[in-house]
Amino acid sequence: MSDTRAVESDLARIGVDRVLCTGHGICARTLPEAIVLDEWGYPILAADAVRPADAKLAVKLCPARALFLR
Amino acid sequence: MSNIIELINAAGLTGRGGAAFPSAIKIKAAKENKARLIVNVCDGEIGAAKDGWVVANHLNELLEGVALITSGHAKPIFAAHRDSTTARLLAAAGLKVLEVPHRYVSSEETSLISLAHGGTARPMTKKAPFVFGGQRSDGKRIRPTVVLNAESVWRVSQISRRGVDWFRSYGTDAEPGPRLVAVGGFVSTPSIIEAAAGIPVMDLINLAGGLDPSVRLVGVGGLGGILLTADEARSAIWDTPTMKSYGGGLGPGIITVWDPRQAAAHTAGAMIAYGAGESAGQCGPCMFGLPALSADWNAFAMHPGADTHRRLQNRLTLFERRGACAHPDGVSRFATSALRVLGPELLQSQPYFAGGNQPTEVLSYV
Repeated sequence: MSDTRAVESDLARIGVDRVLCTGHGICARTLPEAIVLDEWGYPILAADAVRPADAKLAVKLCPARALFLR
Repeated sequence: MSNIIELINAAGLTGRGGAAFPSAIKIKAAKENKARLIVNVCDGEIGAAKDGWVVANHLNELLEGVALITSGHAKPIFAAHRDSTTARLLAAAGLKVLEVPHRYVSSEETSLISLAHGGTARPMTKKAPFVFGGQRSDGKRIRPTVVLNAESVWRVSQISRRGVDWFRSYGTDAEPGPRLVAVGGFVSTPSIIEAAAGIPVMDLINLAGGLDPSVRLVGVGGLGGILLTADEARSAIWDTPTMKSYGGGLGPGIITVWDPRQAAAHTAGAMIAYGAGESAGQCGPCMFGLPALSADWNAFAMHPGADTHRRLQNRLTLFERRGACAHPDGVSRFATSALRVLGPELLQSQPYFAGGNQPTEVLSYV
């Protein structure tokens, strides 16, 4: 149990600024385990906790600057 | 901390605008951050009327509540719909009125904060509560601001005057205190009722003239709320656990008896279509998703079958926490509830358009 907690506490939580998001869909490529796209290309967060390095890259690559770390 | 916050905390007051957040926490943060107070008197939900009633009947106590909360810093703002009776009453009393456009989402908490900062009355992404200050997505700085529902502020003055024990003599242990409910729709005397959690929904409807035997549906909470069948309404208790079991909550205090002479599937469809049209057009899942939901509802209502039903059910899974505000959550909650009460009978029926021997569409006019 303590191992699981240690891993979970190392994860980064992501969020989407829905006003800024224009559906480029890059986040679904950078975070394929956490994000899928709806029929218009807007992200659906299947999980909001991801590996910090992945999260940082995804935030950096979001063209709308909509993806952020919580 | 100051005495009034301890009183509000002991009384267990929660926000009466629908979110039911503990008022003591919000007001404490507002004081600590010297947040500007916006009193929301918009009654923005469909069927809402109680906050205007507070202004019309208890303005002095409302202002007393404001004084207790703000302790004198930054002049409070009163948000009311443009050209409304409530806006006129507030202006006549010499108060600072924020005139809010007549759009459904414009009276949402963050819309009011944006409007008060010179922006449009459209919701903002809330990364942290704006009581701490923050910024809009376009980078505009937002000063610490707190929005409280007018009834909540009125209750603060009542708690101060009459005490915690008086407040807690109403309602349940979990949901204490008096709360206003607007009962309207297909009743003989639409009324604002001083109610409390834990009393039968029928008691509220009876105070507004009673439930006609022909009535089939009762709405709770407007477009962001739910529907109950008349039988469910006859046995339901006005509290959060009961309403939660039907997919909703107490909301901003609204009970709407649906007119049995109107086709319920059509009325529900009209409300969903209205909700789609009231999207602020900012967030993709709302501005594209709600019109698609409306189309899927209409397709199901016109052609009830396994395929249209499944399509509508799948659509309803796509709205949870996917907007800056909770508008898409609210409309999908309503549609989910409408599907719960209307779906089975639509699927069993053979409506005109779904009949095997009926034309399903006009191919050409001659």
